[in-house]
Amino acid sequence: MSTPPSPPPSTPSVSLRGLTKDFAGATVVDHLDLDIASGEFFSLLGPSGCGKTTTLRMIAGFSDPTSGTILVDGEDVTGTPPHQRDVNTVFQSYALFEHLDVRGNVGFGLRRKGIDRRTIDDRVGRMLELVELGDRAREKPARLSGGQRQRVALARALINEPQVLLLDEPLAALDLKLRHAMQAELKAIQREVGITFLFVTHDQDEALSMSDRVAIMNNGVIEQCGAPEDVYERPTSVFAAGFIGTSNLISGTWSRGCVCVAESLAIPVPGHQDSAEGDAVSLTVRPEKIWLSDLTPQMFRVPGTIVATSYHGATTQYVVAIADGLSLTVLEQNLPRMRADDRWQAGDRVELGWLPEHTVVLR
Amino acid sequence: MATRRLERKPALAVAMTAVFFAWLYLPILAVALFSFNDKKSLSAFSGFSLRWYDDLVHNSALLDSLIASLKIATVSTVGSLVFGTMLALGLERVTSRRGRVIGAVTLLPLVTPEIVTGVAALLLFTGIGLKLSMTTVILAEITFSIAYVTVIVRGRLAGIAGEVEEAARDLGCTPFQAVRLVTLPTLLPALIGAGLLVFALVFDDFVLAFFTTGVDPQPLPVRVYSSIRFGVSPAINAIGTLMLLASALLIVAALWVPRLFHRGTSSLDLITGGDPR
Repeated sequence: MSTPPSPPPSTPSVSLRGLTKDFAGATVVDHLDLDIASGEFFSLLGPSGCGKTTTLRMIAGFSDPTSGTILVDGEDVTGTPPHQRDVNTVFQSYALFEHLDVRGNVGFGLRRKGIDRRTIDDRVGRMLELVELGDRAREKPARLSGGQRQRVALARALINEPQVLLLDEPLAALDLKLRHAMQAELKAIQREVGITFLFVTHDQDEALSMSDRVAIMNNGVIEQCGAPEDVYERPTSVFAAGFIGTSNLISGTWSRGCVCVAESLAIPVPGHQDSAEGDAVSLTVRPEKIWLSDLTPQMFRVPGTIVATSYHGATTQYVVAIADGLSLTVLEQNLPRMRADDRWQAGDRVELGWLPEHTVVLR
Repeated sequence: MATRRLERKPALAVAMTAVFFAWLYLPILAVALFSFNDKKSLSAFSGFSLRWYDDLVHNSALLDSLIASLKIATVSTVGSLVFGTMLALGLERVTSRRGRVIGAVTLLPLVTPEIVTGVAALLLFTGIGLKLSMTTVILAEITFSIAYVTVIVRGRLAGIAGEVEEAARDLGCTPFQAVRLVTLPTLLPALIGAGLLVFALVFDDFVLAFFTTGVDPQPLPVRVYSSIRFGVSPAINAIGTLMLLASALLIVAALWVPRLFHRGTSSLDLITGGDPR
């Protein structure tokens, strides 16, 4: 388990200050402030149209911000053209140069810098070893598979040892199995080279499993930013809770230390002091935190009726009605000790419960 | 049983194909055959000879026309490649509505009857007082060919991810270097294909050349046409056969040159819309 990095001690690799982009009157990126530490694997996660790719393109220099500044390694590059920025991009389409072979593609950036031929050959060779393409050096991109093309794109950007590497949904075009393999590989390569990665994705699983920190973006603003465990376990907004994982959203009114959801249902939230009597409050509880058996005295308990069950192999998902108009999704592991006929059926009366610390108050 | 029935050759289809090819190529074969006739007759083949080829080599007017047509075709090809590619690159960067209208307008020469283009060019050149000459033919042919180049190059550009030029800039290219080092090399098969097509079109183009040419030297198609009016010489057959041979070589080149670059589709596919793979 990686510990969430503390605030950057040195100059951040990338700093965004009030970064804003308007397109035809619509604000796509809205006063973004962000610091990405050197060597960090940082993900911008959000639905399509949330402004994450626009943010990436502004950092790369392909798109001019309407206002705000971009600093790369402490240097203001807001007005610098792309070819003079110490930043490289892995494009979603890979954008390989079809007329050059794999070596030509990977060595392209070094040749632009005027580095001598022998050094280039040397570094290209080592980079191709790193991405396990040593034996394909003389192939044209058209003859490579999707995963190999993806690795050429990565090698072509990495070889320049940029201050920060921008990755625009680089795994989106791969099939599921290859994508999982590349996630692990990408993370391993990032650890090895130690370059800052800014990774844009709409895939929450990808963001959670690879990143040191994740920023959840919506409508051009960052909803929440933190370590994967933080954004998953302690979502701060309704959007963040809903976008990552499945979540149970519970709304009610604050009254004497409890959220009153229905006449008969008040959920206590110990330690919460930010709401006044009568305030509308939203809560969330993750489905896997709710128990249907082995309840303990510390848990908040409530009776309910199974509405639906669905079997997912490793887990079974239940929808349980606990009040008028309020159903909770519960995810239960199919542990070895459980037999098939142990599972609940629709209509069964159950008692469910969860520990108070798993009740998360949203803003 | 079912597979065996499928393996039997469909006789009707084979016959239709044979008739089609005969219809298409017999007249051309006749031209080639009679270019080797030893008599002046165009109906009876009496014996093999190379006298009409000999005639041709000693007909300086005809040779001058051949050279003139080669010059016209070469200069027009280069000119239309330069302007057509620039136009295609420019149109690719235009996203506004007005830009799309301009893009559509560039295709008009493809559907305009050539005789209209010819008359229009003639009126323009005489109107501005330009003396009709080889230069006016070239100007007219370039105007006419740009559309072909633009269509072919844009077809290839559409197949390139828009991110390729950005990738070049990301890796240290100025916008100009990105076009020179990445976009143009990627377009090379399309450029070769377009060039070969334009060369073939312009070389034997009669209508535009007829309206815009000066007196001497006349382009080859115009010369052939005017000599027919004074009685057909089998030397025309000889020239026809040579031109046929040259065209066939050009087509083979257009098909095969792009494959030398290990590219998936040849530029001819862009014209014919087919993919031989």
